[in-house]
Amino acid sequence: MRPNTVGWLMLAPTIAILGIFGIIPFIYVLYVSFHQWNPFGASPDMIYNGANNFRRLVFDAEFLTSIAFTMKFAFFAVLSEIALGYLLAQLFMKEFPGRGFFRTIHTLPLIVAPIVVGSVWRLMTTPSIGIIPYLLKSWFGYDLNIGRDATAAFALTVIMDIWHWTPLVTLTLLAALLALPKEPFEQAQIDGANRRQIFWHVTLPMIRPAILATVFIRLMDALRTVDEVWMLTSGGPGAATRFVGLHIWKIVFPKTDYGYGAAISVIVLYLTLVMCWLLYVALVARRERKRTF
Amino acid sequence: MQEPFDPAKVDADLEVARPVRTGFLPITTNWFDRVFVGIYLFVALELFWMRFLEQSIPLMVCHVLAISLGVLIVWRG
Repeated sequence: MRPNTVGWLMLAPTIAILGIFGIIPFIYVLYVSFHQWNPFGASPDMIYNGANNFRRLVFDAEFLTSIAFTMKFAFFAVLSEIALGYLLAQLFMKEFPGRGFFRTIHTLPLIVAPIVVGSVWRLMTTPSIGIIPYLLKSWFGYDLNIGRDATAAFALTVIMDIWHWTPLVTLTLLAALLALPKEPFEQAQIDGANRRQIFWHVTLPMIRPAILATVFIRLMDALRTVDEVWMLTSGGPGAATRFVGLHIWKIVFPKTDYGYGAAISVIVLYLTLVMCWLLYVALVARRERKRTF
Repeated sequence: MQEPFDPAKVDADLEVARPVRTGFLPITTNWFDRVFVGIYLFVALELFWMRFLEQSIPLMVCHVLAISLGVLIVWRG
């Protein structure tokens, strides 16, 4: 048997699962996106309407606004998570009493379901009963009401996401930092490099793949956030936190407009892949080319 | 008798199967990368056309331009 055949046989279960749960549903969504389909309406049949769903979405102000809010959310959330996650990873590299305990306890948000995170944050931020508005009022005189303050509602969705997902970044970067060899650091110190130079020229290039993988995972997650935000703000006030996942949900379930919802889903997937590819090109491919030539 | 598994041989096969090259795109690409970029530019151009130009220029023009661009990228990119 040729080695390639062995490789393909070993990959076969993964490819089968990917095909059944990923590729076939994607092709079906793509098919639906070219149809007008309201299965619970007067005419439940799929009607082919060409590119009309896509034509509709480029003029849909609500959709475009939701894309803008989602990008803003993803930018602030992912950037903060990477920065905070790296700092925490560096902290957990150092020896201090109770390090094992804190390493364990800081991962607890990861095991909480997003819908529960949303509910807990909703309780904590409800003006009459929540601890956060109470403390902000008594300490700073700030009246937090996410039901009417759009900026505060948006900021809280970002903070909630950071609280929930920073531990994942910390764990990934901690694993990357622990796996680094000591020699380059010792050599840099012998050469007289200071801490900032060691960070920029030794640590960062060596953990770049781990950072990139984490950014991809978190970016994809942030772009499809639904449940946490749905529980915390339900997309309000107005449309201030109506991210694209919530927009799709509202189109598909309350309005039962499956064709248009499928078209938006395809475009969101498209945007996610484009962003990840651009990041890959900017951070990896260009650097490799520079090294080659 | 079955030949023993040699990982180095697999790597050598992979290198032959996925040649890379540089064209006018600013990165080193294989054919899959160029098809990927071609499809993404095709979709972007179609959406842009529908939003801003379709009222004055028919979408068929965009199809022709986008497919030509895709072919150019796969061929020379």
